[in-house]
Amino acid sequence: MPQIFINGQPVEAERDQTVMQAARANGIFIPYFCWHPELSVAGNCRICAIQIEDRSWVEIACNMPVSEGLKVLTDSDMVKAYRKSIMQLMTLNHPVDCGICDKSGECTLQDYHYKYNGAPSMSRDVKVRSTKFHPLSERIVLDNERCILCSRCVRFTREISKSNALGITQRGDASLVRAAEDRPLDADPYSDNIIDICPVGALLSRPFLYKARVWYLKPTSSICPGCARGCTVQIWHRKPEWKLNALDPRKNVSIERVTPLENPAVNGPWICNKGRDLALIFERPRAEQAMQKGQAVALSVAIETARRLINKAKHSVALVSNWGSNEELKAFKQMLGGRFTAIVKQDWLPQPGEVIEDDFLIRSDKNPNTTAAWALFPSLDLGGALADTTDLVLVWGEGFDFARVPPKARIIFLNSYLQPENGHADVFIPISIQTERRGHYTNFQGTVSAFEPCFPKKSSVADAEELFVLLAIPEVEPA
Amino acid sequence: MPGKPLLMTFPVTATSHTLADYRARGGYGTLVKAISSMQPADITKEVSTAGLLGHGGAAFSAGRKWGVVNLNDRQPHYLCANADEGEPGTFKDRWILENAPHLLLESMLIAAYALQVRHAFIYIRGEFDVPYQRLAAAIEEAYAAGYFGERILGTDFACDIVAYRGAGSYVCGEASGLLSSLEGKRGYPRNRPPRLTVQGLYKRPTVVNNVETLANVAGIIANGAAWYKSFGTAKSPGTQLVSISGHIATPGVYEVEYGYPLAKFLYEDCGGMVHGRKLKALIPGGISTKVLTGAEVQSVTFDHQSLSAAGSSVGSGGMIVIAEGTCMVRLLQVMLRFYHHESCGQCTPCREGMGWMHRIIDRVVAGEGRAEDLDRLIDISRWNDGNTICGMGDAAGYATIGILAKFRDEFEYFIANKRSRFDGNLECLRSS
Repeated sequence: MPQIFINGQPVEAERDQTVMQAARANGIFIPYFCWHPELSVAGNCRICAIQIEDRSWVEIACNMPVSEGLKVLTDSDMVKAYRKSIMQLMTLNHPVDCGICDKSGECTLQDYHYKYNGAPSMSRDVKVRSTKFHPLSERIVLDNERCILCSRCVRFTREISKSNALGITQRGDASLVRAAEDRPLDADPYSDNIIDICPVGALLSRPFLYKARVWYLKPTSSICPGCARGCTVQIWHRKPEWKLNALDPRKNVSIERVTPLENPAVNGPWICNKGRDLALIFERPRAEQAMQKGQAVALSVAIETARRLINKAKHSVALVSNWGSNEELKAFKQMLGGRFTAIVKQDWLPQPGEVIEDDFLIRSDKNPNTTAAWALFPSLDLGGALADTTDLVLVWGEGFDFARVPPKARIIFLNSYLQPENGHADVFIPISIQTERRGHYTNFQGTVSAFEPCFPKKSSVADAEELFVLLAIPEVEPA
Repeated sequence: MPGKPLLMTFPVTATSHTLADYRARGGYGTLVKAISSMQPADITKEVSTAGLLGHGGAAFSAGRKWGVVNLNDRQPHYLCANADEGEPGTFKDRWILENAPHLLLESMLIAAYALQVRHAFIYIRGEFDVPYQRLAAAIEEAYAAGYFGERILGTDFACDIVAYRGAGSYVCGEASGLLSSLEGKRGYPRNRPPRLTVQGLYKRPTVVNNVETLANVAGIIANGAAWYKSFGTAKSPGTQLVSISGHIATPGVYEVEYGYPLAKFLYEDCGGMVHGRKLKALIPGGISTKVLTGAEVQSVTFDHQSLSAAGSSVGSGGMIVIAEGTCMVRLLQVMLRFYHHESCGQCTPCREGMGWMHRIIDRVVAGEGRAEDLDRLIDISRWNDGNTICGMGDAAGYATIGILAKFRDEFEYFIANKRSRFDGNLECLRSS
């Protein structure tokens, strides 16, 4: 355990650490572009310059091993002057088109420029022109003029996603990040992470391109329901205080983008592309109207009918959703567990073309909470549970083939999305989705993560946890 | 001959590069001596004692470089000869490759024995045609004669050699960039630490030496360190192959013993300036070394100490002679165009700085220079100094600062008058 001194402050470092790692572990900030905690050291941006006391030159913190008694200065005059020069060089050929750049507001280059330079460019010469809107893959466009060639994206595809999809061609200030010719970036299910780790606005997400300014957006922590990994994510949506009145009001309650929420226990700083496309799951047409045999009724009427059906039934079977939160599953178990033979249903199966499983993040179980559901409800065989005597089937969530319901049984269906089956059920009750409530999921490793509501729930839609309490009220005998 | 020669000891004939001729000169006898009577550590010690310095430009002690390799670390070691001679003005290794390829091969075998290397490499500049053909033929001859492969000369020593042709990049002449290229990757130089002698080719300890440095090894082992030290000066032992070009009467490759007076070399050995012009400036060792004025040249001897006292260095021995009447602004333009073209683009100061300097000097030459341009060139040079992954950014800075420090008035004249102080282009003029 060597002890080093950063700006005079004694710091305990690990033997194999670099100055950058030791400083970060002790809450001391050293700026960086190309360095990334999960990637190899490239040492090309040079902004992490530090000075070793009594030396007349700078070193780079990301590649400087610690040694006993090392005296590091992160803020000396020499370091400041050097960082200023690096920022001048970084922005030399940068188009400074922040006004139309999606990264603006969360751009490292922008922040560091104000922090370490702040002056107008010393250059009076024309900038190097390069490719704009280069289609790197179906999901990603590249603006080479904004690129600072930190090589993070290249290293990501080599070291993390292992698709080797990217490389740098040409040299000097004509260098270009380019995808390999057989376009493996399209097949890389983790490709969009390079947009997050790009320190500037060079790599841009096509679905998010020019969609919103990030300062109008707010991130809400959530969990990706796409598979049993349960990666923690941030769902970005419009800040309520910046509500749009004139334009399409749906923009106020739409998912603008999804980014990973760093979580060392589950996904680290990465998520897969499916997690970026949560809008494809959550923004399908919603069911917002309670129904009885296809006829619209008030939510309270539907709940009352369902409660009567449950109380009347002799042999009832429930198909429990593995998209229910821990709280909802527990409420079902407590309130209705005794009244039903409960079976855990697989709400989602792998879609055609989807990566089934890999050795990084993606799991073959495409549901978020199977672990918690199986812990509460024994995994019975559906065929064994449904018998001719079954007179009530409660289906919670998607993914059930209604043809399997015995002909005489009545159906209560709790679902969030518009589907033809909604109208076939004896009672249909619309329920809220993940972005409208608070809860927890247990992932396949048993790690519990939380999700928060992004948008308000409509009053015509029930919250499942409250609904189970109402459905469990016993029939009062008429006096 | 400027002093006693170490390498240019035989007359160059149509067959002097062949194995038969090399053997007739006593070739491969040193290899026999080394393998049969010396321990690997003894060889490294001998090279260390001889004080052999790197001849590629940095003048780092070869013995110290070899000494870092731990012979008992139970992992493969590699040896690589840097024949990617790309420094403008330098063409001395080419002489060895063309005329004494077996000297290089024998020296490499001795070095491989000293460093316990099973696989050695020669990274040869892609543009070299005859040198490559001669080297490839020499390797074939040496294999056929049993100097490479398994059980060399009937001993347990085994070594294979591969000549790998570069694709024409200046930065691939930098040792770590060379190894990246040799690994089949983009020729990006690497960050130190780790040093290449700790983690080089394929992440194994690797010694990369210049061709001329290695070529001296055979002589040192044959005749001993004391013999080698009898050449040159106390602190700069040995000789340097100098490739001289520019406004000189007899350009070419000369072997100069360290300590030889530079003016004497120019005026006597090389026949003086072309058409008797006055010497304006001299770039002593490739364009990355700082320029010397004609006056400075008169008092300098050709060795590391004297040249570094004069603010320059021996560099790679690529001497460029510049006669009175040459426009230094255009000279710097040519140099900066080269550095801009050859910057690999990996780290920020060089990638952005080289292009910027090139654009500034182009603008000055186009007659659109501004007063602040010269300070800007110096700023960019300083930003590069010691702050880049490899030495290329520094080298461009040294060259720029060197010229601006000594010929600033020419640049100011150019900016003020929108034309050179020297009308026309000396290189195109035929003097009467």
